[in-house]
Amino acid sequence: MSIKVKNVNYTYSEGTAYEIHALKDVNLEILDGQFVGLIGHTGSGKSTLIQHLNGLIRATEGKIYFNGRDIYGEKYPLKELRSKVGLVFQYPEYQLFETDVLKDVCFGPKNLGYSQEEAEKKAKEALRMVGMGEEYDQSSPFELSGGQKRRVAIAGVLAMEPEVLILDEPTAGLDPRGRDEILDQISYLKRERGITVILVSHSMEDVARYVDRLIVMNQGQVRFDGTPREVFRHYQELREIGLDAPQVTYLMKSLKEKGAHVDVDATTVEEAADAIAAWLKERE
Amino acid sequence: MIRDITLGQYYPAKSILHELDPRVKLAATMIFVISLFVARSPVGYGLATIFLVLVIRMSKVPFRFMTKGLKSIIMLLMITVAFNLFLVDGNTLWRLGFLRITDKGVQTAVMVGIRLIYLILGSSVMTLTTTPNDLTDGLEKAMEPLKKFYIPLGPLKKFRIPVHDMAMIMSIALRFIPILLEETDKIMKAQMARGADFESGNLIQKAKAMVPLLAPLFLSAFRRAMDLALAMEARCYRGGEGRTKMKPLKYESRDRTAYGVILGYFLIVTAIERGVQIYGWIVALPGRWMAVYQWILSFL
Repeated sequence: MSIKVKNVNYTYSEGTAYEIHALKDVNLEILDGQFVGLIGHTGSGKSTLIQHLNGLIRATEGKIYFNGRDIYGEKYPLKELRSKVGLVFQYPEYQLFETDVLKDVCFGPKNLGYSQEEAEKKAKEALRMVGMGEEYDQSSPFELSGGQKRRVAIAGVLAMEPEVLILDEPTAGLDPRGRDEILDQISYLKRERGITVILVSHSMEDVARYVDRLIVMNQGQVRFDGTPREVFRHYQELREIGLDAPQVTYLMKSLKEKGAHVDVDATTVEEAADAIAAWLKERE
Repeated sequence: MIRDITLGQYYPAKSILHELDPRVKLAATMIFVISLFVARSPVGYGLATIFLVLVIRMSKVPFRFMTKGLKSIIMLLMITVAFNLFLVDGNTLWRLGFLRITDKGVQTAVMVGIRLIYLILGSSVMTLTTTPNDLTDGLEKAMEPLKKFYIPLGPLKKFRIPVHDMAMIMSIALRFIPILLEETDKIMKAQMARGADFESGNLIQKAKAMVPLLAPLFLSAFRRAMDLALAMEARCYRGGEGRTKMKPLKYESRDRTAYGVILGYFLIVTAIERGVQIYGWIVALPGRWMAVYQWILSFL
């Protein structure tokens, strides 16, 4: 059970003045149950890559396997793939269209052929999962706040009960509180349902706290792939491609340069605090 | 998929056509379109073909890119050709029930088809070589004389043609085409990710499937319009009065040459068509005299 990307190339508007080589020979394997962060600068190809994973974009070259089956094979059920690999786009609230929240979330399951009751059951479950109470079921999605709209939109994909959930910049345009709420919710979902989650972001800080694997993309290629600690060790190269490691990484490096014996691999504020405390204790 | 629509799109390249004043290109396109209606003979069409091919070569826009614009009118083209093919009177060539094809029908169908294709190609050359901003600048400047006319609506009120506003509306509309297309593409994908199906089903099912696409699209169009209005107001936009241009349009010598070329082409096409008419008249002359002769004979 995994997604395997083999030698995938993709070119937009081939043969015109607008030609962009968006993906260059990308190879990846995403295993079951992983929490993956996909990071890259604007235009690094991360959005293009994730649209390949559920078959919305067809690679110009290369193959993609889902659970061992070639998704470009003849008679491969793409609709089923899209329900198994749930993709939440950037600003997903712009896809809401129904008159009330519950009906909108039902859209996915109903497209998969579920009956009205089953769809509603799944929709309600998904809404509770993202923390939207029953009191919102009948309200118009357009009356909700930005963060709430986003939760509803995420529920719209969750209701299809995907095995893999891909979220493209789920925190874009939200305030710090909304951002933390959404990210906490996603990590709760991950634990609760045991699904694979791929989180696309350009913010290291956001992702470092949650994921257990980090893939860094630059100019259509995979630059780094490993645990956050491993990746952040390359903080200088990261800076060159326009990405910043978490602020604590820089703090720990300067402490080390100043002669403090601290663990420079700390990626979150908590880890850093522990490392500094350990060092202080050691000094005494 | 939707990215491939080229109607009203600009193709960046370095060519003489790209550098011409937009007014010249507007006038030239209009003259070319008129010439297509003046031309009736194969010679006239041949001339239009040569002119069009030369202009397309000069524009440095790949021909493949240009024909993409034709895809969008293929239905219109087929319907027009079919109507002309079956409905024009003449000597019957082929008949099946109430359908019949006549020699004149074939002739008009071919002519109308070529005319439509050339029309689209000709105007594509203009839009592909002119940025939307230049285009509206040119239009505004070309319409300037209209500003002098007005309709009195009472002692103090006058209705003037809102030339600047019209140009602004057009430039915004043109600017929004690619934005909305991209938006459509995005929403379509988002709904497809939720299992939506836009392709299969009968006409009613297809129309119903459009709701999840159109509702968010309209919402986003209104939202964008509001944002734009606000942004324009925040920068003190108050219409055309007293507004100056950073790059005012000015004719260069190449623009005058271009005017000369397009007028020359038009004169030649007109002259040839005239010539063909006069030639036909002369050729028909003996026959006419014969008819008159026979008519006189019948009296004797």
